[in-house]
Amino acid sequence: MGAQANTVDKAWTLHTPERVLAARDLVGNDFSLCYQCGLCTGSCRTAYAMKYTPRQIMNLLQLGREDEAVAGGSGLLCTACFSCTFRCPRGVAVTDMMTAIQRRTLAEKHADPHIRRFYRAFLRTVERHGRFHEAEFLVRYYAPNPLRLRDELRLGLTLLMKGKVTLKAPKVKSQKGIAAMFRKAAEIEGRP
Amino acid sequence: MKYVYYPGCSASGTSKEAEESLQAAMRALGVEWTELEDWNCCGAAVAIGTSYLLSLALPARNLALAERAESDLVTGCSRCFMNLIRAVHYTHENASVREEVNELLAETGVQYSGKARLRHLLDVIINDVGLDVVAERVTQPLDGLRVAPYYGCCQGMWTYAQFDSTEDPHCFDQLLATLGAEVVDYRLKTACCGGTLSMSRRSVGARLIGDLLAAADDADCIVTACPLCLFNLNSFQREAGKIKGTHFNIPVLFLTQIMGMAFGLPKKALGLQRHVVPVDGLYEKIAAGAAVSSSAASASGAR
Repeated sequence: MGAQANTVDKAWTLHTPERVLAARDLVGNDFSLCYQCGLCTGSCRTAYAMKYTPRQIMNLLQLGREDEAVAGGSGLLCTACFSCTFRCPRGVAVTDMMTAIQRRTLAEKHADPHIRRFYRAFLRTVERHGRFHEAEFLVRYYAPNPLRLRDELRLGLTLLMKGKVTLKAPKVKSQKGIAAMFRKAAEIEGRP
Repeated sequence: MKYVYYPGCSASGTSKEAEESLQAAMRALGVEWTELEDWNCCGAAVAIGTSYLLSLALPARNLALAERAESDLVTGCSRCFMNLIRAVHYTHENASVREEVNELLAETGVQYSGKARLRHLLDVIINDVGLDVVAERVTQPLDGLRVAPYYGCCQGMWTYAQFDSTEDPHCFDQLLATLGAEVVDYRLKTACCGGTLSMSRRSVGARLIGDLLAAADDADCIVTACPLCLFNLNSFQREAGKIKGTHFNIPVLFLTQIMGMAFGLPKKALGLQRHVVPVDGLYEKIAAGAAVSSSAASASGAR
């Protein structure tokens, strides 16, 4: 199994997911290798809540129906734990494809605003400070919907009292350079 | 032994006790750590939802910093480990990804060539320090304490494949047994805790946490190898209990906290006062366990 496993391993990383999605005829690569065994779905802890399971999404991709996969919103439930990728007997980068769907869904206008705000608020603090800043994240995440913050009050106060959340922002010397990395990534990937 | 260490945002924030206890336990074992200078967030499970390139370049910057310091990199966070090792593999296998990642890294004045090796804390403790050295340091064995090791998903096969079974790892069990604990085996020990779903979609995140807590319910406490799992399993027991129709009250500790307890280190140095679910009851259980085993020892001695 050893030698074959190595060549299959490398198929994970030959193309970025966007390129794989863009060129559907990459035969012998990635999701086209999937033979629908369902080990990915069996390994997925959030599959129970998905409209399309990972196996079904691989199938939709093979059929060129990725828009349905994106609209189904299942990508938002991927925790990027990589269990499906580790276990796939065909060496398909299932997690990379699931998160590619996730990116597409989050970029859509009709994406669940609460989840979209979660991703934006989290990354914005990293862009601004180089590290995650809990307090600023909570403000950004809950500001448009303060009622939701009420549900978090008990935990928030506990964390504050136990010294786990501080108002002081983290300090990284290369913060400007890291912010520039964010801009460069958007430029290369053609994101607004 | 000298290491450059990457704490990550979770261990330096909402799971501060992981960081505090890690420093204390490593000092007790005589391991020298320096924190990676000017480290940045690895992107958690969030960067990947926005940008494929950032999900590789953010962790790669930390590897580049380690490379500049001419050192291997150790992390005690499985989520960070997963992102870092993914950056190692993907930039190694794919020249165009490597080029684009380095194009991003150039913005902060560093480059990553793939030289820095990545290690997980559990790997370092078991394979570099060694269980015999850990055993020598134990002054307060965890007699009678039933402990469930939670390996989590994120170290995945890339770590365990080097020294343990990938689907059914046992290295953590051996560490806990060395501390004198009774190890509780349970299904889901390598299943995902939901990561950031506890924040982005609470109903699903809490169910995953609830399933895990229920599976390990037989134990006196759960011990994690990841600060993010530590935060999740500690903070959402109420919500998880509601979904599972029960009430959870299981102490959840980080692996260096339980090591520190067995080493007899002060509670405060291990950050034990920071837990959402109080852990004080564990000391009583250990004392009771010690009394049982010493009376058993004297009884067998009398015979």
